[in-house]
Amino acid sequence: MQGVNRNRLSTWSSRILLQIALITLAVIVGFPLYWMLAVSITPPAEVFSWPLHFWPPHPSLENYIEVFTRQDLQLPRWFLNSLIVSVGATAVTLFLTSLTAYGFARLEFPGRDTLFIILLFAIMVPGQVTLIPVFLLVRKLGWLDSYNALIWPVAANVFGVFLLRQFFMGVPKDLEEAAVIDGAGRFRIYWQIILPLSKAALIALGIFVFLATWNDLFWPLIVLNRLEMRTLTVGLTVLQGTYTQERGLVIAGAVVASAPVLLLYAIFQRRIVQGVMLTGMGGR
Amino acid sequence: MNEEKIMNADQGRASRPPQKQVGSWRTWRWTLGNYLFILPFMILFSIFVIGPILYAFYMSMHEWKVLARQHPFIGLENYRQLLKDDIWWIALRNSLYFAFLTAAINTVFALFVAIGVSRPIRGRDFYRFIFYAPVVLSVSAMGIIMSWMMNTQFGVINYFLIWFGLPPVKWLADVYLVIPSLSIATVWWGFGFPMLLYIAGLQGIPEHLYEAARIDGANSWRLTWHITLPLMRPTIFFVAITQLIAHFQVFGQPLIMTNGGPGRASFTTIMYLYQTAWRFFRMGYGTTIAVALAFVILFFTLLQFRLFGRQSVVEY
Repeated sequence: MQGVNRNRLSTWSSRILLQIALITLAVIVGFPLYWMLAVSITPPAEVFSWPLHFWPPHPSLENYIEVFTRQDLQLPRWFLNSLIVSVGATAVTLFLTSLTAYGFARLEFPGRDTLFIILLFAIMVPGQVTLIPVFLLVRKLGWLDSYNALIWPVAANVFGVFLLRQFFMGVPKDLEEAAVIDGAGRFRIYWQIILPLSKAALIALGIFVFLATWNDLFWPLIVLNRLEMRTLTVGLTVLQGTYTQERGLVIAGAVVASAPVLLLYAIFQRRIVQGVMLTGMGGR
Repeated sequence: MNEEKIMNADQGRASRPPQKQVGSWRTWRWTLGNYLFILPFMILFSIFVIGPILYAFYMSMHEWKVLARQHPFIGLENYRQLLKDDIWWIALRNSLYFAFLTAAINTVFALFVAIGVSRPIRGRDFYRFIFYAPVVLSVSAMGIIMSWMMNTQFGVINYFLIWFGLPPVKWLADVYLVIPSLSIATVWWGFGFPMLLYIAGLQGIPEHLYEAARIDGANSWRLTWHITLPLMRPTIFFVAITQLIAHFQVFGQPLIMTNGGPGRASFTTIMYLYQTAWRFFRMGYGTTIAVALAFVILFFTLLQFRLFGRQSVVEY
């Protein structure tokens, strides 16, 4: 009897300790996000002041107005570029990788296994190896400073093919056989049976391709030169290096770049978390 | 006539391959149709992945200046030069140091957090939400905010230190502290990802094991030590190696937060690749750096396979 009581007491106290630890950690993890917001609404003249204020005494939107209207930066355009490139890359990747994954999972043709082994080999080779050759190729194609340069190389996503093939192989075959009896062709089976049944994997892959493209730095940094073609991530990096005296402005830019992805995350939180657990993608 | 119609209909619609008639036109057409599913992707794959991989090896054996007309063959000269290149070794050391530090912290820290938020406690969905949130930020946004917080003169972290009566620290301006500082910033940014991998792993541990141990009188610390950790070993290995590979390729954080400095204290291999190819336009040597990097990563990958050869099968 006493043993049970003592046990209950210890779980109770250990729960409180756990809560305290987790709340502290949540505050620490959340603080930089809060601080980013607080600095961005501090008037430029007060950004370099000491002691710091945890809430700016004279909040203003000056930094935001600056960052949106300055002629030497083109934030609205960068925003649009990021959106076009991320949506484009996601759409193309989802369509092509799922089509290919269906081919490898369900259809038969000579050389299928060999081709798949070549894909396997390619996934072992880290991406840096191809950077320079692909860059030279893109330059030769006249794709520097274009959306093409940011969409098509991204769509050659071997990992996506693996993931979806794995998923498609888990779809029970009975459903397809029923559709065959009803006279459905290969493409219709792919489109009307396999894809709807694989929604979870497709959405997860889609979200991660979107986030990865939106957040990518290295590749856009080397294929984009013109000011108006930059993506947000590249634009911000250049800002950080150039406008060292205008912290408030740069940080307001960071807020603008982060707001859409954080919003996307807040809306699709459950799907994203499930997606990470399902696919092992979505991080570094 | 009638038969032909049926055959045509069958050919156009049914997803089952036609009866085996070796070499017949219908079998061929059917197979060609199958190829169409993989064709668009395989074209992109050849152009942007497999072709460039092979071409990279070719380029690394040439003196390849971007504006030059000729790219003379120089065999393994680039590789020989790399072995004698001090900057390469400094960059490699920095990258490895950063990778091991960050991977070690993330592997251990994320595991504890995951165990914490896997307990049936109030608000655990909220905690998971907050802990993963920084992962979705771009490296530029993350770098901008963290470098400002770690600023020696105006940074909020030093403000806290002074508040608690401690001396301010030169987080990003000190040769010995810069990599640990970048590592801390990266852990803040990224630990939510291994945390979720661990949570997924923890969900795979059957509840009855805990119940049996609890009946035997084990407390929650011993449950963690004797049941959770041993069963999580494959996941822990997996996280450790994938984290090591991912963080070895660090580029954005030092580029944005320190630009490789002070001096070359946070200059990494990928920054060196970037500089060689896109600042000095030495594409051949740049490719050599990339290939050398690939071998380092390949080594880690093989290590992973070796470890997983023994660890991948788990019986509960």
